[in-house]
Amino acid sequence: MIKKYAQIFKITFEEYFAYRLNFFLWRFRNFVSFFALVIFWLAIYGVGENVFGYEKSQMITYLIGIAFLRSLVLASRSFEISRHIRRGELSRYLLWPLSINSFWFGRDLADKSINLIFAFFEIGLVILIFKLNLYFPQSPANWIFFIVLVLLSTLLYYFLSFCISILAFWTEDVWATRWLLGIIFLEFLSGAFFPLDILPGWLSRVVYFTPFPYLVFFPLKIWLGQVAIGESFRVLAITIFWLGLFYFLSSYLWKKGFRKYGAYGG
Amino acid sequence: MLAALSFMDSIINVSNLKKFYQVSKPEPGLLGSIKSLVNRKYEEVKAVDGISFKINEGELVGFIGPNGAGKTTTLKCLSGLLHYDSGFVSVFGFNPWERKDEFLKQIALVMGQKNQLWWDLPPIETFNLNKVIYEIPEKEYKDSLEELTSLLEVKDVINIQTRKLSLGQRMKCELIASLLHGPKVLFLDEPTIGLDVVSQKKIRDFIRAYNQKMKSTIILTSHYMDDVKELCKRIVIIDKGRLIFDGKLEEVTARFADHKIISVVFAKDVDPKKLEKIGQVREYSFPKAVFFVKREVASVAASELLQNFPIADLNIEEVPIEDIIREVFTGKNFA
Repeated sequence: MIKKYAQIFKITFEEYFAYRLNFFLWRFRNFVSFFALVIFWLAIYGVGENVFGYEKSQMITYLIGIAFLRSLVLASRSFEISRHIRRGELSRYLLWPLSINSFWFGRDLADKSINLIFAFFEIGLVILIFKLNLYFPQSPANWIFFIVLVLLSTLLYYFLSFCISILAFWTEDVWATRWLLGIIFLEFLSGAFFPLDILPGWLSRVVYFTPFPYLVFFPLKIWLGQVAIGESFRVLAITIFWLGLFYFLSSYLWKKGFRKYGAYGG
Repeated sequence: MLAALSFMDSIINVSNLKKFYQVSKPEPGLLGSIKSLVNRKYEEVKAVDGISFKINEGELVGFIGPNGAGKTTTLKCLSGLLHYDSGFVSVFGFNPWERKDEFLKQIALVMGQKNQLWWDLPPIETFNLNKVIYEIPEKEYKDSLEELTSLLEVKDVINIQTRKLSLGQRMKCELIASLLHGPKVLFLDEPTIGLDVVSQKKIRDFIRAYNQKMKSTIILTSHYMDDVKELCKRIVIIDKGRLIFDGKLEEVTARFADHKIISVVFAKDVDPKKLEKIGQVREYSFPKAVFFVKREVASVAASELLQNFPIADLNIEEVPIEDIIREVFTGKNFA
């Protein structure tokens, strides 16, 4: 299994290398929007020190956390599956004596690692340019909760995006679904634009009922030490609940959808 | 497992296989598209409509039929890609649809119009990936890679990016990628499509050699009758989802062509009107003439010709198989 992952890793890396310009431009776009976001928030803070209950260093840490988690959590190549379903390219993978999840999860690992390396440099650069102070939690409990939660939310995002991708078995235009779910729900409701608790109280409470805040918002809140220990366990339990739900949903949808697969083309 | 296998005489068993597609039919125009959002009309396409056949170990069987006849759909059902609606399919005693690893490791499906090679990487990367995915032992992998690349003469191209290869080179590499794990059953869907005559021949020779050497069971579909004629003793003709012939290639002629062709070369000019009595004159331009005559009376017609006309040369031939098959598919009654 390790060998298989190593080879999937290698091939994904080499594919990136084949399109390096494309990749660099994409990273550059990421960098610019991250840069702009930091400038925007620095301007809001100005001389003031506390906005929406966030210290300046906490808000900056949140923004940097977003840049980090975008590469680690909110990144999955499994979106390719919908194209493969529509064009019949999925057949190639179905003929392999390897489960579909093993392949795409391996691919994601490669994807995440290469993006993390770049994100690391980009974040470092922004910190140097603006001479930013980062917030580090004092309690080891926060570190542990953060790490565990990030691992779980990485899996949660994978199964979530897998479910969306395989809707292509039923609908021809996954693009719209993907856009709606990808941009509106995921980016916005996960807290990848701003911390969700700056929303009106009732609205943020509604958002907490969806699986999305558990991807970015809650891990970062825990890092910032703004979630009590008891509350952290609750967050962990809810994340595990969503993960379980989407895991079963994905295998259910896969079984159902695969029956409808037409293996079109050729 | 083994006990179950020994009871079965054939490797591939298909009985009354049916696969229907639901195809949505949007009405034309903008209004039609909007309507179809709410109330989508579906039409049933009977891609495979009750096909049965058995194939024994080591056989090389040709599937022929026009586009959309159901050949590829049948192959996809056999390799576990498609869920069929009803019927029974077994390959080595496995139900392909279950896609068990033990099953997948013994088969390969090569589609001439599809790539499995990684487009942006050299073929060797796909080979290496398949090696780990199929868990091929190092030595076995090296040996078969060496053998396959030299047989197909692509040793020097496997390190070049796939998208820079010619169609022929790519197809050869596709074959290698599918054969590295030594599949016992091979489904080849139009492996020679779009290739030049030389590459076609190369691939054809390779398929024959592979079949003989590995004793593997092969189903081949092709539009090129040459492929089928040269490779397959047995052919299966499929049209509109139904099997219309299954048997030896030679038998096709006997079954579907009720006449033979007599071609003659006359020594002297003859009266064309007199020729009409012999049979249907297909062509006459002195000194050559071509007749279509009923199979039963072919020899009588020939002797009549020899007795009554100044003949320099005479040949009795079967109708070319291409013509028969074309006529069968276009639904025309043969003269």
